[in-house]
Amino acid sequence: MEDYKYLFKIVLIGNAGVGKTCLVRRFAQGVFPNVQGATIGVDFMIKSLMVNDVKVKLQIWDTAGQERFRSITQSYYRSAHCLILVYDVFSQCSFDSLPQWCRDIDQYAGAAIAGNGRNVLKVLVGNKCDKDREVPLHIAEQFAHNNNFDLFMETSALEAENVEKLFREIAEILVSRNQESNGGTMSRSITSNSFNQSSKPSNCFNCFSN
Amino acid sequence: MDEHRIDPDEERRTIVERYTKGREKIRDQIGDWEDPQNLVLFTDRYGFIHDQQLPPRLSKHEAKVRQKEISRTSKWLKMLEQWDKYFPNSEKLRKRVYKGIPNSLRGEVWTRLMEVPQVKKEQEGRYQELLDYGLYNSKDIRQIDLDINRTFRNNDMFRDRFNAKQQELFRILVAYSVYNKEIGYTQGMSQIAALLLMYTSNEEDAFWSLDRLMSGEKYAMHGFFIDGFPKLQRFADHHDKILKKFLPRVYKHFKKFDINATLYTLKWFFQCFLDRVPFSLTLRIWDCFMLDGEMILTCFSYTLLKLHKRSILDKSMEDLISFLQIDLEKDFGYLDDQAIRELQIAINELRKQKMESPAKTNTDAEKPTRPFGMLLQADNVSIMTGTDDRSIAGSINLKNSDSVSLAQTSRTSSEVDQNELENTELDDVEVNDFCKIQRSCSIYDNVDINESIEAAKRLSELTTNSDQRGFFKLQITLS
Repeated sequence: MEDYKYLFKIVLIGNAGVGKTCLVRRFAQGVFPNVQGATIGVDFMIKSLMVNDVKVKLQIWDTAGQERFRSITQSYYRSAHCLILVYDVFSQCSFDSLPQWCRDIDQYAGAAIAGNGRNVLKVLVGNKCDKDREVPLHIAEQFAHNNNFDLFMETSALEAENVEKLFREIAEILVSRNQESNGGTMSRSITSNSFNQSSKPSNCFNCFSN
Repeated sequence: MDEHRIDPDEERRTIVERYTKGREKIRDQIGDWEDPQNLVLFTDRYGFIHDQQLPPRLSKHEAKVRQKEISRTSKWLKMLEQWDKYFPNSEKLRKRVYKGIPNSLRGEVWTRLMEVPQVKKEQEGRYQELLDYGLYNSKDIRQIDLDINRTFRNNDMFRDRFNAKQQELFRILVAYSVYNKEIGYTQGMSQIAALLLMYTSNEEDAFWSLDRLMSGEKYAMHGFFIDGFPKLQRFADHHDKILKKFLPRVYKHFKKFDINATLYTLKWFFQCFLDRVPFSLTLRIWDCFMLDGEMILTCFSYTLLKLHKRSILDKSMEDLISFLQIDLEKDFGYLDDQAIRELQIAINELRKQKMESPAKTNTDAEKPTRPFGMLLQADNVSIMTGTDDRSIAGSINLKNSDSVSLAQTSRTSSEVDQNELENTELDDVEVNDFCKIQRSCSIYDNVDINESIEAAKRLSELTTNSDQRGFFKLQITLS
């Protein structure tokens, strides 16, 4: 058998062209692809990392953004531990589409995950924060809060900003959720020390601060 | 937040303007991030850019292949001179296609295999009309622009943002999006159109080639690209059936990991293996696809898994998916000639069981239901027709226009003042000879004529109380 303790499925969704594939490739391969084609259907990447001396494997499913592909990509929501909804801070239009994506999430990923009664971990990401912005940070923060996202971050796949951090925090939250539920302490709280101390409070926060 | 909202019309205009002007004129507006930043060290024979120096000399095998190709070229030239003698059923033609069409003649042969010259002749002038209309009315311009930005940017032809080939690609996709409104534009089409552009001699040929691939009976890719992708499921189901019968262990292996066939076959089917096997092999598969059509999708899918059966069975789920999605594109593990020979063996094998293609669909879900190229939007048009219903079952040919169609189609993007048009209203224009409705079997041959009539009626709110000559009255309000 393989030598990891946890395996988590992460699905990236969001409008076409917001940089989902670049985020994944930056994280999984450490590169910013110069010439990245559009994702047609669903692609897949894998990356392992250590969280508190425990090996965690992340299965990252990257989806096509065009609306008509949702009929295909939605079937991947169901088994996901975490959904990362990505918009482009440079594109108001991609931000305006978020409510529709949220409805999709509620509809297709609402079911309990991994048998521990938890809902899927919802993460909002504003990518391309290296460029001029159209979407103000505080508005996105408000949106994340109002829509019960567990985590919100701005990232730049180009500059490698917050990308590693994003996936690391997700892994940490998922691990701590699992440990809690295994230990029989099914608390709704997912704040753990490790991600309360955000090193970049200006553009990264944990919405879930109860 | 409202000040941030983008007016879709303005966005469309901005995008169209950039493509119309082209790279040279808008150089100062193109951001660094819009062009690939990697060094061009070497370009291969297909125009793909490599950041590593390729070997100074061809390998022995490659040199041999090129040599063979040169000697085949003269045979092909002779065959092209007497094309009607060979196309469509000659065994010699089939044999030569499977050996590989010489790269220098590929575009010419592909268009002939798709019967593009005939369609183009029948539809003379049409492409320009569609394009002129599309630049003002396509709803897919934003998505098309997004995807051109990431279509074959690793190829010399499409590398520079807004260069001539990107302009052509933009125009083809925009024109197609208003021509076949059931599809409009679906991701995946830009790469197909780009591949066609690499080989056909001009953009109009590439446009009609795209049309043949979508609506020609042999290829019928329409069913892959419309909403809901009905053909994908049918082909994936059939693919599973083949695995169960011929590669049961591979089938179980996929099942064990809960890998659904639609996951890994989607790109095989939508783009005929483009991006999933090395480019040179893609071309060879496309040669066969152009001749034999959709059956190649099924047969090569089987071939691929059969050839790699052993390594597939050894792989974990993650390795398996990246093997199919990434590794095989880098190195297929077999020479192109070997792979195609195996394809021919697989075709024969599957044929014996009558499994080389899925059973024909008995629903119409995959077929076009609306006439192509109805440029006048249903909301804005009411058509009254007389006696001959059949006449509407083709495409509306507006090419002899002198009044209505001018307003809608005969304009170039730079010449027209949009504001002027926005308030134009043409009432009750008599459309007589100039609005010939004709059946064009070449673009419409997989649609039942009666269905087309029904569809056209629905679309255009047909009524039957007009004059006896069967001519049309159009009431057009330009919005």
